[in-house]
Parts: sequence; C-alpha cells; structure tokens
Amino acid sequence: MTTHDHDFTAAPFLIEERPWSPRLSLRVRPQHRETLARSLGLDLPSRIGHRSVTDKTELLCLGPDEWLILVPAQGRDDLMAASAEAYAATPHSLCEISDRDITLRLSGPQALTALAAGCPRDLGSLPIGNAARTVFDSATVILWRDGQDSFRMDVWRSFLPHVRAILHKVKAELSSGL
Amino acid sequence: MSRYRIPGMGRVDPAAPVSFTFDGRRYTGLRGDTVASALLANGVHLMGRSFKYHRPRGPISAGSEEPNALIGTSRGPGRFEPNTRATVQELRQGLVTESQNKWPRLSFDIGAVNDRAYMLFSAGFYYKTFMWPRSFWDKVYEPFIRAAAGLGKSPTEADPDTYASRYLHTDVLVVGGGAAGIAAALAAAQSGAKVTLVDENPEMGGALLSDPSVRIDGRGSWAWLADQLSQLRAAGVTLMTRTTAIGYYHQNMVGLVERLTDHLDQPPQDAPRERMWRVRARQVILAQGALEKPLVFDGNDRPGVMLAGAAQTYLNRYGVKVGDNAAVVTCHDSAYYAAFDLVDAGGRVAVIVDTRDQVRPDLADAARSRDIQLLTGHTVTATGGRLRISSIRVNPVRNGRVGSGRRISCDALLVSGGWTPSLHLFSHTKGSLTWDADSQTFLPRHKTEACQIAGAGRGLWGYAEVLADGVTAGMAAITEIGRSAVATSARVEGDRPGTGSSQKELPTDRSAGKARAFVDYQNDVTAKDIRLAVREGMRSIEHVKRYTTNGMATDQGKMSNINGLMIAADALGKEPPQVGLTTFRPPYTPTSFGAFAGYHRGATFELTRKTPIDPWAEAHGAVFEPVSLWRRAWYFPRPGEDMHQAVARECRATRASVGIFDASTLGKIEVAGPDAVEFMNRMYTNPWTKLPPGRCRYGLLLGEDGFIRDDGVIGRMSPDLFHVTTTTGGAARVLNMMEDYLQTEWPDLNVWLTSTTEQWATIALNGPNARKVLEPLVEGLDLSDAAFPHMSVAECSVAGLPARLFRLSFTGELGFEINVPARHGLTLWNALMESGKAYDICPYGTETMHVLRAEKGYIIVGQDTDGTVTPQDAGLGWAIGKAKADFVGKRSLSRPDIVDPNRKQLVGLLTEDGSRLEEGAQIVLDPNQDVPMKMAGHVTSSYASDALGRPIAMAVITGGHGRMGETVHIPMPQGTIRAQITSTNFYDPDGERLKA
Amino acid sequence: MLLIHCPYCDETLPEVEFAYAGEAHIARPADPSALTDEEWRDYLFIRTNARGPHYERWRHVHGCGRFFNALRDTVTDRFVTTYRIDEPRPVLTPLEAAE
Repeated sequence: MTTHDHDFTAAPFLIEERPWSPRLSLRVRPQHRETLARSLGLDLPSRIGHRSVTDKTELLCLGPDEWLILVPAQGRDDLMAASAEAYAATPHSLCEISDRDITLRLSGPQALTALAAGCPRDLGSLPIGNAARTVFDSATVILWRDGQDSFRMDVWRSFLPHVRAILHKVKAELSSGL
Repeated sequence: MSRYRIPGMGRVDPAAPVSFTFDGRRYTGLRGDTVASALLANGVHLMGRSFKYHRPRGPISAGSEEPNALIGTSRGPGRFEPNTRATVQELRQGLVTESQNKWPRLSFDIGAVNDRAYMLFSAGFYYKTFMWPRSFWDKVYEPFIRAAAGLGKSPTEADPDTYASRYLHTDVLVVGGGAAGIAAALAAAQSGAKVTLVDENPEMGGALLSDPSVRIDGRGSWAWLADQLSQLRAAGVTLMTRTTAIGYYHQNMVGLVERLTDHLDQPPQDAPRERMWRVRARQVILAQGALEKPLVFDGNDRPGVMLAGAAQTYLNRYGVKVGDNAAVVTCHDSAYYAAFDLVDAGGRVAVIVDTRDQVRPDLADAARSRDIQLLTGHTVTATGGRLRISSIRVNPVRNGRVGSGRRISCDALLVSGGWTPSLHLFSHTKGSLTWDADSQTFLPRHKTEACQIAGAGRGLWGYAEVLADGVTAGMAAITEIGRSAVATSARVEGDRPGTGSSQKELPTDRSAGKARAFVDYQNDVTAKDIRLAVREGMRSIEHVKRYTTNGMATDQGKMSNINGLMIAADALGKEPPQVGLTTFRPPYTPTSFGAFAGYHRGATFELTRKTPIDPWAEAHGAVFEPVSLWRRAWYFPRPGEDMHQAVARECRATRASVGIFDASTLGKIEVAGPDAVEFMNRMYTNPWTKLPPGRCRYGLLLGEDGFIRDDGVIGRMSPDLFHVTTTTGGAARVLNMMEDYLQTEWPDLNVWLTSTTEQWATIALNGPNARKVLEPLVEGLDLSDAAFPHMSVAECSVAGLPARLFRLSFTGELGFEINVPARHGLTLWNALMESGKAYDICPYGTETMHVLRAEKGYIIVGQDTDGTVTPQDAGLGWAIGKAKADFVGKRSLSRPDIVDPNRKQLVGLLTEDGSRLEEGAQIVLDPNQDVPMKMAGHVTSSYASDALGRPIAMAVITGGHGRMGETVHIPMPQGTIRAQITSTNFYDPDGERLKA
Repeated sequence: MLLIHCPYCDETLPEVEFAYAGEAHIARPADPSALTDEEWRDYLFIRTNARGPHYERWRHVHGCGRFFNALRDTVTDRFVTTYRIDEPRPVLTPLEAAE
C-alpha cells in the first residue's frame, strides 16, 4: 500500500580514525609552482581539487597557491630541508599542520548517503581520485574521494567530536532502515 | 464493519483493523485509514470546535489543506502533538486522539457563548475592544486574550523523537505524484535523467486514487497507476511518499519534509520521525494539482458540510460514505461526479443545487438517471442542525433576485466552489500570476526559476489533458538540461472533464449582516468581516488579510484566499486581478521544529569545539563555559566549593605559587615569507622591524575605522616567520582580515598565512614558581631571567616534546606559554602537573584568568572594548608605532571624533562601600539630576579580587582619563553606588613580579 | 541557498561555502595620510547600497579561500557573473541590466 523506496543496508557505513601522519601546507605563487615543484621533487597539480601521488607522497591542490602535502614520516625532514634550500630562490611557505587535522575514513555502501547528511555539495559527481575542501555540518572539512564508496575526511581537531557525533546519529538513523 | 464503510470499496485493508481512541472512546478503523476517514466510517463528523466562536466543526477536506479537523494526537509517552490534521494523520494501533478548543466536552462547550456574541467579535475586534483604558491592558485584556488565544495544547515534555536531514541533487524534481506528475516523471526518466518524484500522501496517484472508474490505456485507473509506478521504479526514479515540498527557494532548491514513523505501529529503533531534504534540482516540475474551494453561505461550517471532492475521496479511497442522504451545492461540474459515485456505491443524493443557470446536458441526464433532483440557478441560504447538518434551505435566483426558500433534509452537504491551482510553491519563487477570466482563477505566468508547471496546477481539467500536459512538462524539463526522449501519449476513457466558476458569497434573501457565512474556517472569518474591513477603509488585500486574519491560519488560506478575494473585490467594486492575491510563504503546511532542527539537538545542538586538554578538565570536574564555539574550563571546584570560593582559591594559588591554564583556544597564525615583517608593520599598530628573532611583543590590530579589533602576543621565530596569537573568538576573523588585505590590497607581498590554532596545544604556567616547575622539563634552553627574559620566545624541547616556548604573562606573574603539537597536549599537561606537585600547582579556568588579568588592567577585546574603542581610549597608545607612515586604521586615529577628549575611556573603578558592581551597569556623574539621567559610561569588567581583598572593576567613562580620583555614581534598583575612578593597573603597578 | 560560481575553482557551489565581503572595487587609498577627513570618511563608510545590479566581494572561505568579485542583482538575488579579484569591473550590458 505504501511506497517507501529507500534501500538501506544493515551495515550502512564504517567510520575509522586514521593514524597520525605528517601533513604540510605549501604556499607558493602560481607562477613559481613549476620551479618549486622541481626543487622539491614534487608533482604539484595546478587545478583545484586535483591530486597527485609520488613516492607515497600525496599532494592536493586546495587553492591557486595552496597545496596540502601528505608525506611519510621519514620523508618529512627531507622535504623541510629541500624547502629551506629552495626558499631564497623561490620564496614560499611550508608550514607543518600534522596535528591540526584528524582524518576519518568513511566507507561502505552508504558512505555517500552519510556525507549527504551534512555536506551541501553534490559529492556523487566528485570524481574518484579528486578531493574538495567544503563543509560538513558547519565544520570545514577536506573530503578525499578514494573510491566509489570510500572517502577520507580531514577535520580540524577541535571540530572532530561534533562531526563524529553527527556521523553517529546518521549511522543510527541509517541502521533503522528508514 | 463500521456503519458507513462500504465493503469492497477503497484502498484500505479490510483484514487489518486498527484500534484507536477519540476523546476517550475506542473506535476501530482499517489499515490505510486516516483518523478522519476512520471516524467518518463510524459516523463521527464532529471533530473539533472553531478558534474564535467555538462552533462545532467536522472535516471539510480529505487532505493537508484541512482547516477544521485539527486534533491532539498522542503516539505514546512524550509524543503528544497538538493541531494534527485528522485528514492527514494515518491510523496506527493505539493512537490516542482528542478534540481541541472545547470545555467541558466537545458536544457541549461553554466557550460557544462567543458564538452568540458574534456581533462583538467582528473583524478588528481586538483593536477596537481592548483599546481603553490603558491600565486595563496588563491586568485584564492581555490575560484574557492569552487565555482565549491559541489552538490546542502545547506539549509539556521534551520530544523523544529524532530528526534527520539530507541534501539531494537531482536532475528533475517532480512535486506531486498525481496523473500529471507521474506522466512528467516517466517522460523525464526515459531520457536517462536522474528523477525524483515526491508526494505528500502515503501513496502516489493523487486524484486517480479517488477516480477508479476512469480507464487509461484500456485499464482501470488503479491498475494503470500500479503499472506506471513499477515503470518509474524500473527507470530508476526515486519515489518519495509522505513527503511534503514545504518551500521553493533560490536556484531550484526545494525543501522537503519526509514523515517516516508517525504512521507506524512500531517504528524501528533509532528511526527518525521526520527527515528534512534540501533538494537542488536542475529542473523542477510542479504538478501539485488544484485545491477545491468551499462555497460561502450561512451555516456553511456545520459538521456534515464537506467539499464534494473530499466526499468522493472518502468514498473511493477509504470506502466511506459521508452520509446516508446527501445534498450537493456547486458551481463546478466536478461535484456531479462525486454525487454519481456516491449513488453508484449505493448511497442517496437528494438534490444537486447548482448556482449556475446552465448545466452540461450529459451531466443533467446522468443526474436524472440516478434519481437526483437537479436545481439549477439556485442558492443555499441556510443549513439546519446543531452538531450535524440536518437540512438545507434552497432558494431560486432569477435575474439576481432570490426567491422564497424551502427546506430539503440531508445528513451531509457536498459543496464545490470550483478549484484553484495550488500555486503556493510557485509563489515562493516570486513567479507572477495571471487572472484567467474563463476559469475565474489565477494561473502561473512569468517564471523566475527553472521550472515547469503541469496539469491541474495550471488550470487544466480532465485526465486526458492533464496526462498529455505532464508528458509535455517532462519533455520540456529534459530538453532544458540537454537530454531527449520520445514523447508518449495515453488514451483515456470515461474521463471527467469539467468547468466552473468562482463565487463571492452566495446570494440570500435574508440579512447578509447576520449570515454566518465562513470564508476562513480556521480563523472564523466570515464574508461579513471582509466587507466590514473594506467599509472601514482597508483597500489593499494585504490590509484586509491582516485586519480580518483571513488566510492567516495554519492552512495558509488554501481554501479561503480566493473566496476572500472575490468578496473583497466585490466590496471594492474592482475586478479580482486588480485587487490581487496575498503572498504565500513557506512552509506549505505546518512543519515541526524537529524537522528544521534535524540532528541539532542535545549534545549536537550547536557545534562545540574541544581542546586537547578538555578530557582532563572533564575528568577533574571542571565547570565549562562557552567561548565563541569552544567550551572552556571555567573553574575547577573542589567538593563543597561554590564558584566564588573556587575562583578565589585558584587566584590565590597562582599568585602564591603556580597555576596551570589551558590556553589552546588562542588563535594562532603563522605569518611566513620574505615580506612578513612588512606585512606585520602594515597590519598591526606596533613596529616590528626591530623586533629580533627570539623576542615577542604585544600586538594591537585595528580596523580601518581606528577601533580595536584584536590583540595578542606575537613572537618572531626567524626574520621571515612570525607566530601570531589572536583572541579565542577573533582567530577566524583576524585570519580573514589578513587574507583580505593580502589578496586584495597588497598582492605584491610575498607572505603566506597558515592557521596553526589547532596545530598547537598551548598551556600557560603562571606564578612565582612557574620556572621551577618548567625548568626540569626543558632541554636546549636556558630559562634564567637573564638568558630568557620576559617577552622571549624559543624553540626547545619540553618533556621530550618539540615546543615553542613563550615567556609572557597575562596575569602579572612570571609566566610561560608552552606550545606543543596538539596530539601531545595531554602528555605535556600531565608532565607539568607531575612536576608541579611539589609546588601545589593549581589548574585554573577562564574565570580566574579574567580576574588575574583584570587586576593588572589587561583588556579583553570584546569585553572591555565593543568595536568603538580606540587604542587611546583603552590606554594602549604606547602600542602605536608613531614613526610608521601607515598601518591599518592609522588615518582614523586623527579623525576629529577620535581625538575628542570626551570620548569614553577605560578606567578602573573602586566602590566606596566595597560592593561588587554589575558588568554592564550604567554610570552617571551627577546622581541628583532629573531622569532620564545622562549616562557617562558603563562597567565593562567586575570581579572580586582576592589579591586586593576587595572588588575591582573596569569601566568606560566619558573623559575618564582626566577624571582620576573623581567619584562617579552607579544607580541600581537597590540604591546608588558610589565609586572612585582609578588606574586600571590595580596590582603590582610597577610590574616587579614579571621580572622574577 | 544560492549557488555561487567560484572563478578560481571554476565550479558552481553551495552558498554555505562562501562568505559575503562587502562592496567591490573600493581600493584602499595608497596614502591615507594625504586624504582629508571627508575623503577618508567616504572611503570608510560611504557605499552605494544599490537596488539592482551590485558589484560586491565574496570569499570562498570554506573552499579555495580566495576573495573574488561578483555582480549580483540585489532585487532578484541573482548572480549575473563572478570574476577574479584582479579583473576589471565587467560592463553591464543592457540585456543583463534588463534582467
């Protein structure tokens, strides 16, 4: 008689907190991007939201002059040294923000649905392999789309309790099947 | 089987009885019933009392437009809701319902005395009756109005349900799952577009559910409907029932409320009651159909009077006949079909009264063949009965003259005043309307959004036309988004086309002034009220609306607006389009607060930021206070201590030995690049060029208007790197302001800004023993006063953690602020607590921090300043780099009003009687002047000071810096307090303790 | 909730990612000290308060962080265009003005 066409599964999505790892914010004028990239041995994508990966170092272009760098622990000091060396010729800023954000992984068939509970963007159209800085329930977050149903969410540390609490409410809601 | 239920009819499940109560009496309905249909099946029409006159009322509609049948519902403990529409609420086992607005009971209500006194309660009676004398307002009028006002009872318990919200992006959103909406959705879906179809009812189908006799594509309409729905599902269309589009906002955003559990006997655990959807659609198709209007005549509100379309719905959808002996009064063909269905189902229709002189011959024949008396060119002038209609008075109308009346008995009266397209959502977009003279109704004209309007929603009638229009709308929508499909068509047999007219109140042979002819049922507005409003000078329909309250009830004028307009236009002697419609505003139907709140209740009511030290504070009994979005430890009471005692102890311990404080919320910005020092010079008032790396300085930030915006200690880490701190609340604002200048005014500067507020946990140690606590933990730095003097900064290791260590003080004591990567914050805190044991280290909260800084006269931006305080006003003129050519706000510091010596200036206050002033208290210079007194300023900060053994206060007072030693007066309700103006530097004025 | 095209991200995105930042094309005077009190007052406080097309600034604060300019109709709330902070004020064609 009634038609509720929601199709929710019993285990809607998984929330995992990722372990700490080094994270750096790189800023340089767009016209110096290529020069600096060569000096640091990095592939700095020029389009906002695009990512690159070199030797386990992940880079994300967040703004016309802003990149987020995820680097393995052993690579961090090398990068800082290369940055210091390149600074005089190519002014830029490399600031450590490893402790600023905490990363959650959201995965499972309802991961997109869960994100749609708080993010006004059309995340279904976010290409796999891209990322976006946006908003989830009034917190600024960076969403990395790693697969169809697999996302990373970088949240500033102090916002995490709220974001987690909302996600848990969403999880309970989806588990109800309605 | 209930008395009025017809076996074999309707879409209810006869094998699934559902038990519920109404006003304490137990009834049985069927699965699929609404409360209204179930009560009607049991012969109950009387469901409530009206708002103003307490007149007995029954349901007039079968849908969300219902103005009368508003009931209280209880779905279990804590789940009471007032003003539920009985025509919408689905039955569930054990549902408890009650009528409203009656005392002592529904059938005998004392408040109905208002009805006898109706002459007193005409339009604008509030304005007229409660004017004089003025002194009666507080004691007599307002309590009376408050007692009488309101509909239903407010729930008294917290809502135990949860609510959810969701964003949805779709190519095409179709609002309304009737024939037009279904056809549009299917047409659009065949192009491969992502389509969402929503309907407020428990099932899709719209009017088709009430018209089973119509045949489409060779099948009964219900079979056709089932097939269409499975085709929609197969095409991937998202179908959402019980989902109301409540508002249509800019750029095709539509708000939907989905009702998930109100109809369920046993809702699943954690299931939300409602979910708010914020839909962004590339194309919206409005297929909301049309709303039937009542006719306006004396006694048109008696229980048993019902819209003809509603009666048809109760019959066909619920298998309920609304009476044994019905009468019909109409000005539209559609009511004939309701009458025919009723007769064909075994009921009796005594008469069809048609206000029109001419009726379509086929309808007249069909009436005759069913033994229905047909009276064309007639009017209804009265109804009889008390709690239920028992008769109507019918009069012929010839050339505008009303002939003599006669009574016809009936137990139900089906009325139809024609149909008006449901234009609410379209009106939300500010789409313009046009008056259609043929159908005498408003139709949509100019669109402001990417939308299509289909079916009865744009005045079409009959399924063949409506289905074709739905397909056209669907095709138009996908064409707009660059898709295509092949248009289909449907063949309709037994269609029910029709036309009609709009009416003002029906003509009568009696005194129109005495007619109780209702236009707005819920607000008890009569035709007479509207004419009175016009007579009393209301010319705009908006004024008529507000004066009479016509259309202002929770049904938003769904039934009353057009009838009210027709009457107002007649009274004004204008055509309806010249008078115009009032504006419809969201939400379309009453919407729960829960749906708007969504997840934001309880602990997630609003976003709360927590520091790395927060778990320790919580475990150690801290009382918290909100500071911007953060929650901060306010004070740490020991057992038996109140706030005053705890703060006094924390202050004493810090000044005597050492206190520890979580300062992690301070904003931090890394300013880096070859032009960093130039940037700092331009932003802050202070000079930065000569500040060497390893030193820090108090920085003051102004707006261009010269007023203080923020402050904080800024360390120079290297020639090209500054560690800027901001106030807790100012962090985001300051970064935004800096980015603004950097991006838009000085894009040539090679400087980059990074927020590091959350990169660091910041712990402050203050007190004469601070160094002793810290020193054993520090590696790579000589902490002695000579090597690391006041206002120094260094990178070092603290407790084995990489740290940025500041020597600074916000307390007047020897002080350090230790920044470590945030994930190590708790580790450092515990190490310092351990090291501080020997010195009775005392954790303190923000209140003690405030007291200690006030004792030193350090300002808090936003507390001692309010956006109109200059550096000179605050006594911070020393922080201005006078040699600098420019900095943000410098030019304003020489504006005439800024150099005025009588500006309010920050001073200290000490009361003569030792009482503590209230923050915000107003200050006067002469307490003997006449009221209203001239205010000279106000108290900005006030505390009990343990160190001084008396309360201290700070205040801004006109010309305050020139009034040292003068006495000012603070008038309070208990009496006027005298206080002396002093310096703000109350404690250790020479700063000896800082140099320890 | 509006949709706003960020000229740096080249994407049309929900309004909650953005913050309004006042009227556009009001440059800070190169040498404020050379201005009269009246000129400085006008720079600080005098704005057009347009009814209709309005040149204004927005910041993609929860996205790329860039300030940019927009031409928005204050009557219909419709964005005519958005453009980078260093681009000149676009000329309002009669067609757009009519809208």
